[in-house]
Amino acid sequence: MPQRKVLDARNTFCPGPLMELIANMKLIGVGDELEVLSTDKGSADDVPEWIKKVGHQMVGTTEVNGVWHIVVRKAK
Amino acid sequence: MQILIVGGGTGGTILGNSLARRLASEIRAGKVRITLLSASDKHMYQPGLLYVAFGQMTPDQLYRDEASLLESSIDFHVDPVTEFHLDRNEVKTGSGKTYAYDLLVIATGARIVPQEVPGMAEGSENFYTEEGALRLHKRLMEFRGGTVAMVVSLPHKCPVAPIEAMFLLHDFFKARNIRDKVKLQYNYPVNHVHATANVARWAKPEFDKAGIEYETLFNVREVDPVKKIVYSEEGTECKYDLLIAIPPHRGMEMVETNNLGLGGWIPTDRFKLTMNDHDNVYVIGDATNIPVSKTGSAAHFEAEVASDNIVSVIKTGVPVREYDGRVYCFIEAGFDRATHNAFDYINLPELKPPTKSVHWFKVAYNQMYWSTVRGLL
Amino acid sequence: MSTDTEFAPASVAGERGGIAPPVLEQLAEIAMLIGSARDAMSDEMVTRLARAISEGATLLDRLTRNEGLLQLLRVLERPEGQHLLIGLSKALALMDRQVAAAPPSSGGIAGLWKLAREPGAQDAIRLLSILSQCWVESMRDAR
Repeated sequence: MPQRKVLDARNTFCPGPLMELIANMKLIGVGDELEVLSTDKGSADDVPEWIKKVGHQMVGTTEVNGVWHIVVRKAK
Repeated sequence: MQILIVGGGTGGTILGNSLARRLASEIRAGKVRITLLSASDKHMYQPGLLYVAFGQMTPDQLYRDEASLLESSIDFHVDPVTEFHLDRNEVKTGSGKTYAYDLLVIATGARIVPQEVPGMAEGSENFYTEEGALRLHKRLMEFRGGTVAMVVSLPHKCPVAPIEAMFLLHDFFKARNIRDKVKLQYNYPVNHVHATANVARWAKPEFDKAGIEYETLFNVREVDPVKKIVYSEEGTECKYDLLIAIPPHRGMEMVETNNLGLGGWIPTDRFKLTMNDHDNVYVIGDATNIPVSKTGSAAHFEAEVASDNIVSVIKTGVPVREYDGRVYCFIEAGFDRATHNAFDYINLPELKPPTKSVHWFKVAYNQMYWSTVRGLL
Repeated sequence: MSTDTEFAPASVAGERGGIAPPVLEQLAEIAMLIGSARDAMSDEMVTRLARAISEGATLLDRLTRNEGLLQLLRVLERPEGQHLLIGLSKALALMDRQVAAAPPSSGGIAGLWKLAREPGAQDAIRLLSILSQCWVESMRDAR
């Protein structure tokens, strides 16, 4: 049963939402998901680019009241 | 009231001294006791390791006796914690003793785990330990020409260290008159030259000016120490003659074995600095899972907030402050100039151009650090 | 809008506004001085200076939080305290010469008897006795 972990990376500049995502990808299992919360629009573009390059899966991105919810799945 | 601090690094030492000063009368009256447990009798100034790698500091300058830095009213023991029993408000240590507490502060820091990347420990150098920094220095002095490559794994302490190292490498080889024989190749895991937007905006043109080559979206998969090639998850590869790696990090092993947090990072409220579900446990410094840079300055500012709150709770019953994410990082841009990055959860100002004065401020701070941990600065 | 000339000293305001040449010269001189100071400094000098300041601050901090030392300072600042210190320093100077000139003691009860008969020695014993009694009494109070 895939688990989804929420990463609250709102209002963080350093290391930033994408770095938090990468660090946490290591700690979850294949098939598990991460939902990153970010107030930085750049992450909404950066995350899918990283996911694609490295070979994981994008599940989806939604924006609610200035907060992006970016959901990814660990594929390998 | 028994206050127990686990960890004698930057955060633990500053917090201990701050509490000892502010609760001096309570301590004298026997109402409060502060105990600090550390795995080592020495306190290391970690930012100095980068200077050791470039021959600007010697290892003896990195250490002081922890006991000499602590207020005499603090009960200090070199006795590493092996078990946490948060439900019973006690910890057990390597010597077999049990320490009970009313209030616990976990400031255990982070460690490097290069062994998590196949071939990294054998095929690369790093400046995250004293031995590593000395070995790297030797290799830099012996280097005659070729490619010096940098790879970065996540998470890691001191986010600007990879950038600083590149600029120091540039000046180092210039000073040895072989800069034209050395290719400096910087590889970084995200799609910018640095995770922090203002640092990336500043560093990219500086890299171009210094002739430092860079590849972004390079996540280290494995290192082949024989062929001297490092491979990325993205399918690219980088040949090197000298590989400097920023290794992956985890929290301390006993944090993981005690199931306090995934990866050794303890779930912490990013404003209150208390451990999730444990109001009488504070967590500061590198050991937290807070999305804040793992730096000495964060540990320092967090220690100040935690101290204010602990003192206030003892004296008035309520906490007074929240951590605002404040961080202050020097960024060396070469042997004789530096800039700094000062930001918090809300503000991220642009970096100012590097100057000699800021470099000297950093050089002075290397000495003033010891006043900081004593609670004087 | 008033043109209050007393707030526009001639040495600062130029003929047509802006900063007057003498002031510009002074500013340039200060800039050159700072530049020279920067050229004179080195990493090692900054390190030594910062270390001295850092260690100095630590020492000062310890001294100012030492109740005993501060109390001693308060006593020594008073006229009687000054009197004591000046007397002690003079005595130390005199003592050096007398010790050098004095013949080595012969030892034994006879030597001790000879010493005890000196008026100066009896004053000394009385002084030490008074000091010890006062010291013991104040230590008892402090506890």
